Amino acid sequence: MANLQRQTLKKWQAPLTLVLFLSGLLLVFSLRSMASSGTLPSRVQNENLANLIRSQESEIADIELDVSNRRDLLNTFQLNSAAGLQAMTYLQNNVKQQEVLAGFTEVEGPGLIISLDDNRKDAQNAETLNPGQFNPDDYLIHDRHLLYVVNDLRAAGAEAISINDQRIISSTEIRCAGNTILVNSTRLAPPYIIRAIGDPASLSGMLESPENEYNILKMSGFPVSEDAGQTVLVPAYKGSYQFSYATPQK
Amino acid sequence: MWLPIIGLLVGIGLGSTLAIPIPGIYAKYLSVALLAALDSVFGGLRSIIEDKFDGTVLLTGFFSNALLAALLAYLGDRLGVDLYLAAVFVFGVRLFQNLAIIRREMLANWMQKRQLSALEGKKGG
Repeated sequence: MANLQRQTLKKWQAPLTLVLFLSGLLLVFSLRSMASSGTLPSRVQNENLANLIRSQESEIADIELDVSNRRDLLNTFQLNSAAGLQAMTYLQNNVKQQEVLAGFTEVEGPGLIISLDDNRKDAQNAETLNPGQFNPDDYLIHDRHLLYVVNDLRAAGAEAISINDQRIISSTEIRCAGNTILVNSTRLAPPYIIRAIGDPASLSGMLESPENEYNILKMSGFPVSEDAGQTVLVPAYKGSYQFSYATPQK
Repeated sequence: MWLPIIGLLVGIGLGSTLAIPIPGIYAKYLSVALLAALDSVFGGLRSIIEDKFDGTVLLTGFFSNALLAALLAYLGDRLGVDLYLAAVFVFGVRLFQNLAIIRREMLANWMQKRQLSALEGKKGG
């Protein structure tokens, strides 16, 4: 009933009006700010978005770190492979060179082609003339002859030597086996064609030297010859070659 | 009687026309302040009905409650605790309580008036 009495009408009207006026303002303002922020649980959403952004950014940072690490690795690999290629080429060249030096490749160059043959003519003569004292060995080319000639050629600087297409390498033996000579475990028969690559003048000079075997054979009447005219082709060693006992010292 | 309602409408109109951009971050603080204001309004209405109206109480209550509510919300944001919920609960409860009291009083008044008019009708008859 109080709100019907006129005395109190003015008492409460003013304050209430003011309060309602302010409430109206507040209402509009809060609605407007709500509209500008977008959605109601804005703080939560903002936090969620901020967290999402943070997590994505940290992920990006991780991936960037990973990328940079991989780039460094790639760089190292490229450097290594380039160095590796270089090393490879160097090693391959080295191996090739070693093969050439060891006698595993065919080589050609200036040198001598020497022919040594049994002295059949003199043997026949000696046999007919003096059968009792005939010793056929005196008229044959023996392993020692070949050995001495090869030795002389080496002393004269021959770089590649072959006898009857058997390349003489460091493990090559020259041994008598009955009527034949074994070179690289291959039986060779006269005439023995020795090919030697080197300075023709030095080689020839060594051979012709009076005390050397070639000259002795020649003086003894063996049919020997040397030819410096052509380019000498020395074949490769075709056998096997490995160490079973010798091991490298570090 | 109608002056307060006109006051409300003027407030809404003025707020609409006044193009002050309010940043979205203040939305929550304004909302709790609005809730406090509503509570003050309903408290004032109740006091009018109960004949215990005091203008000073209403005005001071309005401003202090709105301010405290906004402050609480802001503090809650800074601390990471939803302190604004306290304002929401308290003012919400008081709102409904006041509304119930106003409703009952108005109903009682209306019933009284009906009885009175019915009686007067009989008398006058």
